[in-house]
Amino acid sequence: MLIAQATVNGLVVGLLYLFMAVGFTLVFGVMRMVNFAHGEFYMLGAFSAYVLTTGLHLPFLVSVVLTLVAAIVVGGLLEYLILKPLRKDELNGMIVTIGLAMVLQNGALLVFGPDPLSMPAVITGTTRIGSIVIPNSRVYVVVFAVIILALLYVFLRYSRSGRALRAVVESFQIASIQGIPARVFYPLGFGLGVGLAAVAGALMAPLFVVSAFNGTTPLLKAFIVVILGGLGSIPGAVVAGLALGLIESYAGLFFKSSTADMIIFLVVIVMLVLMPRGLLGKGDV
Amino acid sequence: MSEMVKKMDRRAWGLKPSGLYAGLLLLLCLAAWPALMGPYVLHVAILVCLNILIVNGLSIIERAGQLSFGHSAFVAFGAYGSVLMSMHFGLSPMAGGVLALILAAIIALVLGGVILRLKGVYFVLVTFAFAELTRLALMDWADLTGGANGIAAIPAFELFGYAFDTRPRFYGLVLVAVAFSIILTYRIFRNPLGEAFRAVAENGALAESTGLSVYRLQLLAFIIGCMLAALGGVLMARYIGFVSPESFNLNVSVGLVTMLVIGGRGSLWGPAVGAIVLTTLPEVFRGALQTQHIFYGIALILILRFLPGGLAGVPGLLRGRQKVS
Repeated sequence: MLIAQATVNGLVVGLLYLFMAVGFTLVFGVMRMVNFAHGEFYMLGAFSAYVLTTGLHLPFLVSVVLTLVAAIVVGGLLEYLILKPLRKDELNGMIVTIGLAMVLQNGALLVFGPDPLSMPAVITGTTRIGSIVIPNSRVYVVVFAVIILALLYVFLRYSRSGRALRAVVESFQIASIQGIPARVFYPLGFGLGVGLAAVAGALMAPLFVVSAFNGTTPLLKAFIVVILGGLGSIPGAVVAGLALGLIESYAGLFFKSSTADMIIFLVVIVMLVLMPRGLLGKGDV
Repeated sequence: MSEMVKKMDRRAWGLKPSGLYAGLLLLLCLAAWPALMGPYVLHVAILVCLNILIVNGLSIIERAGQLSFGHSAFVAFGAYGSVLMSMHFGLSPMAGGVLALILAAIIALVLGGVILRLKGVYFVLVTFAFAELTRLALMDWADLTGGANGIAAIPAFELFGYAFDTRPRFYGLVLVAVAFSIILTYRIFRNPLGEAFRAVAENGALAESTGLSVYRLQLLAFIIGCMLAALGGVLMARYIGFVSPESFNLNVSVGLVTMLVIGGRGSLWGPAVGAIVLTTLPEVFRGALQTQHIFYGIALILILRFLPGGLAGVPGLLRGRQKVS
């Protein structure tokens, strides 16, 4: 039964990792850019949900949607204004995102202060399935997350822009030959990528405390997931994200958490050396 | 690497010995100033020197075409290695330090041997993961390393019975180390070896076709760079008298890369400029830490956009010797 409980917890955390990693890998796929600022968008998403629900008293669902829209717009603008000259320049592009991360994190510190804020729970109580107990707040988050993922899936799979975006991820040149305008899809890809991070932050805000330092751990997890799944591979990020959540949850039953972390980083290094394309990734190394 | 950085490289290559000695002399004059300014300024100057040493190591690796985001791990190997060897085998700080450098070189050889097959961002990510693994291991292996509490009360550095236990004395020691690292970098890049590093960084396939081994050259650069980081670690532990895993977290590695980029990649004086600017500014603007980090971020973005050669490239730009092409 312990295993069943661990599975449920692992899936909830895995869902968070999945959100972070799909956005991260989308940005990498489109721009060949390792986005060190990705975690900061998670952090800003959490603050956005906090401000919108406690400050403006909007319903949680509306806050999440507004956060997503705002993040896509802001992300697209940042891409256009800051990252544009360094598209496809892997190393310098990456260093620019470090600069961006510094600005965003310390900006949030200036505005919100260093003390963690806690957001009131959206819903209380627990749900029982057999002997497994799940807090309702988590069920709520899982349902929202699945809805948003389904929307993303439909967008990427069936809509014209979504298919164009996937084509850009697959091969920029061939996509251009087919008449897909890159100047639109770079900002859109980046905006959508960081938008997913912001949604993850907004969804997790009621579960955890909200603080300007919150971006680091999700960023590290996104790194791990994306390396395991393959840089630039969206299915890889989905599978590896859920897998990492489950593995961490199971490992927590048997090891100290620091030992579990070490094992995971060791796996990441071995994986990068032996299979740099990840489990499901393709493309150049 | 952008076209302009390559140009900077060629400039550094063309730097005459007189340029090196003039620079060193200037640095020495600058270095004399903190010695007269009292203990606090001296303390900052020592931190600057340690950072120059470490960033010089990073710069050598970068000039061979790989960017390491795990440089802090090797600082940690130097710091922990020397202290632990002195503690457990009763070695002098000097002997412990030398053994720690050898240890760091062996780790760099084995690690680099495995990971240098990766290029670009994949190398960045694997070094990043390695640094985090190292930090976690230092934390986890508490019996040996003291875990999160670290190791305190480390005795001062000592050489043939002479203890570097005051700030002025230690400052002298660390200045010698910095001068050594600058002359070493200069010598490497004035020799065919440096030309080979550069060739490998600019176009690996072309370098291979002329008979150079990209793998071996990058491995050599990695070992030299990591040993400089370890040397910085050995001295840092002896100066501060305390080590803990948190002194080697990911922000430290990112900070070192920031110093290198802001100072200037591919130039002899870039690491020194970056270390001086980014170590002293936080001390000057002590109160407004967040504002200051925002400025770093903006500086990083602007420099990548407008000054790929970093701050060290500014005099060259002002003299108009190089055109941005």
